[in-house]
Amino acid sequence: MANNPKVTVFSARRVVTLDPSQPISTHVAVRNGRIIGHGGPEVVGQFGGTLDARFADKVIVPGFIEGHGHATDGLMWRQPYVGYFARTAPDGSRQGGFRSVAEVVGHLKAIEATMPPGKPLVSWGFDPIYFDGPRMTVEDLDIIAPDRMVVVAHVSGHILNVNTKVLIAAGFSADSNIDGLVRGQNGQLTGELQGPAVMGRANRATGDGGLLRELDVAGLRDYGRIARRVGVTTSTDLANAMTPANVAAMRTATAEPDFPIRLVPAMRAREYSIEDGLARIAELRKLSTPTLQFGLVKLVVDGSIQGFTARLRWPGYHNGAPNGLWYISPAELEATVKSYHAAGHHLHIHTNGDEASELATEMIGRAIEAHPRADHRHTLQHCQMADSGIFRRMKTFGMCVNLFANHLYYWGDQHAKHTMGPSRVRRLDACNTALASGVPLAIHSDTPVTPVDPLFTMWCAVNRLSSTGVVLGDAERITPAQALHAVTLGAAYTLKMDHLIGSIEVGKYADFAVLDDDPLTVDPTAIKDIPVVATVMGGQVFAT
Amino acid sequence: MTIPLTVIGGFLGAGKTTLVNHLLATGAKRWGVLVNDFGAINVDAALIAASDGQTMALTNGCVCCTMGDDLGDGLAAMAARIPPPEHVIVEASGVSDPWRIAQMALIEPGFNLEPLVVLVDATAFPAQLDDRWTGDTVARQLAFAEIVVITKIDLADAAQLVMVHVRIAELRPQARVIETAHASLPDTALSFTPPARPQASRFHADDVTHAFPTQRIAADRQFDRDRLRWVLGMLPASVLRLKGVCLLGGERVLLQYAAERWAFTPAPEGLANGMVAIGTPEMPDLEGLFEEAR
Repeated sequence: MANNPKVTVFSARRVVTLDPSQPISTHVAVRNGRIIGHGGPEVVGQFGGTLDARFADKVIVPGFIEGHGHATDGLMWRQPYVGYFARTAPDGSRQGGFRSVAEVVGHLKAIEATMPPGKPLVSWGFDPIYFDGPRMTVEDLDIIAPDRMVVVAHVSGHILNVNTKVLIAAGFSADSNIDGLVRGQNGQLTGELQGPAVMGRANRATGDGGLLRELDVAGLRDYGRIARRVGVTTSTDLANAMTPANVAAMRTATAEPDFPIRLVPAMRAREYSIEDGLARIAELRKLSTPTLQFGLVKLVVDGSIQGFTARLRWPGYHNGAPNGLWYISPAELEATVKSYHAAGHHLHIHTNGDEASELATEMIGRAIEAHPRADHRHTLQHCQMADSGIFRRMKTFGMCVNLFANHLYYWGDQHAKHTMGPSRVRRLDACNTALASGVPLAIHSDTPVTPVDPLFTMWCAVNRLSSTGVVLGDAERITPAQALHAVTLGAAYTLKMDHLIGSIEVGKYADFAVLDDDPLTVDPTAIKDIPVVATVMGGQVFAT
Repeated sequence: MTIPLTVIGGFLGAGKTTLVNHLLATGAKRWGVLVNDFGAINVDAALIAASDGQTMALTNGCVCCTMGDDLGDGLAAMAARIPPPEHVIVEASGVSDPWRIAQMALIEPGFNLEPLVVLVDATAFPAQLDDRWTGDTVARQLAFAEIVVITKIDLADAAQLVMVHVRIAELRPQARVIETAHASLPDTALSFTPPARPQASRFHADDVTHAFPTQRIAADRQFDRDRLRWVLGMLPASVLRLKGVCLLGGERVLLQYAAERWAFTPAPEGLANGMVAIGTPEMPDLEGLFEEAR
């Protein structure tokens, strides 16, 4: 017998198990944080358990898995959020939802009034693409505070708006003519900075680190709060430098008894030479615990589609923008993939444009020819433009995919108009083609790029509606059951954790999301509106 | 005084790191080198005075530092060194567009942007240009090159070498082209204006004749802001650089221009009014054009 023989049996209106031998139950028995049985009311007697009926009228599903998120989401909320779409802060408050430049300026002005002098005001999540009227200008931000540096970072991650004080500190003059400085009709700088070169300079002037900050324990706790509120019990942190400080923070936070999620960080390979990276990931794997699993290695092949830094095949960007540049040369990618593959590691490769997906698939194919290896589960992350040909090759090479379904809603209209055009946009995040090709599928939010919320991500994959209500590629819709699989067992598979999490089966961790309704039976357009009542992680209940 | 700054680009394997290793090892000048990572930097261990993973100081006075996404950070750290480097070299990553890096130096008043040097591998360049995955990257790296260095010529036959010259001329006719066997250039190839007394180098290289004529442009009278901007927009591609202090809107400002991009920054103390243009032999007389801006 285990050291704690006490059995708790949770009863529910339905338990959607994803256990092929019994897909639907009403009771699930938990011992020592693991599932010992599930079925009907008889489970209580079978395992001698105590009935916990607090979820008796709710629906229990496997805990959601965010297969591509960033724990830096927990750090973002130390600065004001100024986005178009409202999102939930760690404390549960709803933030943002601004519909005009004036609303953003008003909100920042109120915050500025409470700040001590001298400290820069840096806000994030600005998303003006749905605003009518003129773009944000340097004058708008000078109104907020002429004597304080003011920065408004766009949600896309590729643009900043700044005030005059930042322009001066960064050395950007009204007469400068370098790439990335946007000018108005009058030839003056608008305060909009595009691209890493000019943005990096502004960040240096303000002392703000942008997205690449070191994690800390408080930030991880906040990320845990954000994630569990939307039913997540396991999340990746998909681009982690694995500095000693980052690793220490993760080990401390995930060892706390009330930390509500399992964390799966991926080591950013570009931080290391291949040799050092192989040594680092081998050493990290030994530190894995039930709530902190190391082993993933992250590679980045290109940039983003909406930032025009992704690598596209012919005919390139719909609006004629030049192709993005590789983030790693094809030869270096081949060498890196081969080295990590040969050493038995598990690659998660960021590819947005279809040329990047094609290249990464080719290089994995070459690695497999050189070092045949079953069950590697190398996964393309985002893979937003892949067509059926690329998915067929991915299947051939035993690859997995994690598609960025939230893009359909947040940037789908932009992709139809500017980046992919009206035909290719139908295959944006082609969930159905992936499944039809036999490629194991997960879907994700890339939080904080878009908010973590697996029910919303499911809704995107099922309905494929853009934020203006246009259906993008009806034939690429998947069913609610397929979408639920993609945010549970499908995601677990891409992490090589499907023997531990992702379904409600005997022996697995007792990780559940408790919902007010069943995503498999509600009107599919209402999946995103189902309230999350609680999560259970390792048998421990976290009320939301 | 401003510090000369040379950005070196070129695709993977073109010889950028070999060149950097040569510069550091010889220490003909107090070089300051900015690289993406130390991985390939290979200097004699006896030459390393101190290294902390981000900065490597050498006993010959040279220093090598890693840079992040923000070139300005790396340049500021270089300028703050005591003594500062005599010449700063930035090694662009093999897949980056070196011109995007070089133009950021236009807003660094403490630095003087020297020619954009792009290395091409004599044995691989045409194939890289024709490769479906690398062709556009390699072509883009050449687009604003001012000195193109063909490396590994000892490994190429005459016909290959002619083809390399043809492909370079198609992409960037304005560039001066230098050939070398081992990416071991004399440091005069890293500046527009070679020093009066060429410095001794123990490396063989072809005799470097400088084909970059210069012109002085008077700047004792006020320029009109809008008309100066118009003139700058009109400059032909044969004008590679324009730099100097001029009077604009009642202020003394430092103008730095390179390939259709420019920046004005407050003029540092100690620089006299006046501008110098550097161009290819096709550069027209610019005085008349600038008269339009006065």
